Amino acid sequence: MSEFQEQLLHADEERIKICRKYLSGRNNQIIDQWEDPDFGLYYKIDRYGFIHTDKLSRDFDEQERKEKEVEIQRAQKWLKMVKNWNKFKETNREKLQRRIYKGVPDKLRRSIWLKLLNIENQMSQPSDNKNEPSIYNKMLLLGFKYSTEVRQIDNDINRCFRDHEYFRERYSTKQQQLFNVLVAYSMYNMELGYCQGMSTITAVLLIYLDEEEAFWALNTLMIDKKFAMHGLYIVGFPKLMRYLANHDKILTKFLPKLKKFLDKHNMDSVLYSLKWFFVIFVERIPFSLCLRIWDIFFLEGERVLPAMAYTILKLHSTKLLKFKDMDAITDYFQYKLHKNFGYTDNFVIKTLEISLNELRTRKMDLPPPSDNIELPKCELGTFIEPTIEKKLGLRSSCFSDTEKNVTDLVIARSEENGNSLDVIDENLADEMSNLNTVTNISDYEGELSYMDDDLDDEITYTNSHQNRKSLTCTSITSISEDRRSISTLNQQNFEEIVKDDDGEYRFKELISNSIDCNT
Amino acid sequence: MSYAYLFKYIIIGDTGVGKSCLLLQFTDKRFQPVHDLTIGVEFGARMITIDGKQIKLQIWDTAGQEAFRSITRSYYRGAAGALLVYDITRRETFNHLTTWLEDARQHSNSNMVIMLIGNKSDLESRREVKKEEGEAFAREHGLVFMETSARTAANVEEAFINTAKEIYEKIQEGVFDINNEANGIKIGTVSTPTNPSIGSNLPGGQSSNSCC
Repeated sequence: MSEFQEQLLHADEERIKICRKYLSGRNNQIIDQWEDPDFGLYYKIDRYGFIHTDKLSRDFDEQERKEKEVEIQRAQKWLKMVKNWNKFKETNREKLQRRIYKGVPDKLRRSIWLKLLNIENQMSQPSDNKNEPSIYNKMLLLGFKYSTEVRQIDNDINRCFRDHEYFRERYSTKQQQLFNVLVAYSMYNMELGYCQGMSTITAVLLIYLDEEEAFWALNTLMIDKKFAMHGLYIVGFPKLMRYLANHDKILTKFLPKLKKFLDKHNMDSVLYSLKWFFVIFVERIPFSLCLRIWDIFFLEGERVLPAMAYTILKLHSTKLLKFKDMDAITDYFQYKLHKNFGYTDNFVIKTLEISLNELRTRKMDLPPPSDNIELPKCELGTFIEPTIEKKLGLRSSCFSDTEKNVTDLVIARSEENGNSLDVIDENLADEMSNLNTVTNISDYEGELSYMDDDLDDEITYTNSHQNRKSLTCTSITSISEDRRSISTLNQQNFEEIVKDDDGEYRFKELISNSIDCNT
Repeated sequence: MSYAYLFKYIIIGDTGVGKSCLLLQFTDKRFQPVHDLTIGVEFGARMITIDGKQIKLQIWDTAGQEAFRSITRSYYRGAAGALLVYDITRRETFNHLTTWLEDARQHSNSNMVIMLIGNKSDLESRREVKKEEGEAFAREHGLVFMETSARTAANVEEAFINTAKEIYEKIQEGVFDINNEANGIKIGTVSTPTNPSIGSNLPGGQSSNSCC
């Protein structure tokens, strides 16, 4: 056996070992003690399932109590709306929008997300053959066999929301689901595969949705034009680069004093806002607020992101300007705003609406469109041969031109920011008026005005539909035969998908084998 | 808090080798196995004392996934020290060191002090890379080497502090131009003492392990 074949076998063995661990779950395997967090002493699980080891303030309890009260009052209205969703969506769009801005009751969040992301329709596509496994199950099986991302996904699940009741235990049901969805998606959208950050997005989806629903929700977020997060995660992060450039422009225009201050402290936007765009503000603002942003994001699409980034800085500008050094600023962005945002969720959402309008008026609500396509070029479900490095799990030693361009771009922007301190002065006068707008919102407690008829966000999912349809025609046998020969090791264990009594497809053989293997 | 110097560090290495855990152990003196995923870059800082001087370490902790290297490469600029970390229980992370090192050398200033760290030394039973191999690699490439455990805290202090000592020595020798911030060193904001001869030796007076 050549050295290359040996390495390939090693990579194969490792992938199988990891897959087995997730298939076995918490039973029948020894889990390293350090892999399970010790929450022996905790004070509270909040209403979203996060475990707090610090004592929470009374204000926190009070806020939760109020939120719940309001939600109970609103529940009936929401239930009616969900029941008549299609009619409501067409005839009463404004009301739908208003209600979502006011806050989706947590108990109904699952239903609303399924509706907003059009998941039920995607999942109920009729299949030609009832006995054939769903696309998701096909992709999952292929992923177990061929995905080159298994190791990275495993690594990241081990540090995803471990302070949440669903994800705290290693190989728990939700961890298994998270693994499955990401592995399956890495096969379905092979141009993207898996990029760090996708685990966080999927974990939030899985707090509310089931496994297969989360898969389609993830797909919608990646490839639907309205969200198009695919471009955020692919090599070179083209969309992130456009977002950052636009963000800098927004600051120069609306918050020049703060921009100058951040530049002075070498706080390039990539250092503090990357996670805002990459994981839609998760772990950068409190989770309750984050969910509100996600609700609005699902409704309105990507224009929410630049507006929310701007809103955070607008609301905290005065505070930030007082900091003396970079460390205080990074600490504020990294931890403090996540722990305590300093404004109520409702107030932030109101400010966000104003930001959306401001940016729209100035045509800065979205970065200029890209010259290149930032969506998958191949049909989804198409097998793309991974590079040798990917197969062996090696880092590539060459840098692609795209990668070099990104580095140059980031460095150039940082230098430009350093040099452009004078230009900003021109906009300084405007800034005070912007800050005044923020102060005035505190008086603004009545019904919100939704004057924007131009918010023409008719929820079009044709794109994702087409993709899904086209995939039903994609046969898994299109994967070339030589892929099979690579995975000769224990291949028979991976072959069988069995439909169980509940009508769900399971990898029966594999499960029993993995148990044998561990006993 | 006042300091005589600020050193910028960058922590690099493959995904999952324990970069963030090392940082947390150093800044907060605790081990958190379930540390959040680092996406892009996260920051930490701590004050240390060398030769009676307060030195602030500003540490840039980077994402390890290959996809992010196009962004993290820009962070080498202006770093005075780098901790290049591998995992002694995973040979691949050791095999990738050459790529990391080339990358670091190419994008940083030539005086940057690089400390090679073999982390997870507490997992002896799963060791795949011998200590001697780490030592040999370090010798060959002119790096300082140490095995650490973010879990037990073994050698963690030393790794960060010894790197700082090397940088400090280079300053004393005049190798670093401390007036050029591109070298990752900033002269501190120590309040002007009434007697300069005393002040220059005794800035501040805070405890050595306070976190900022």
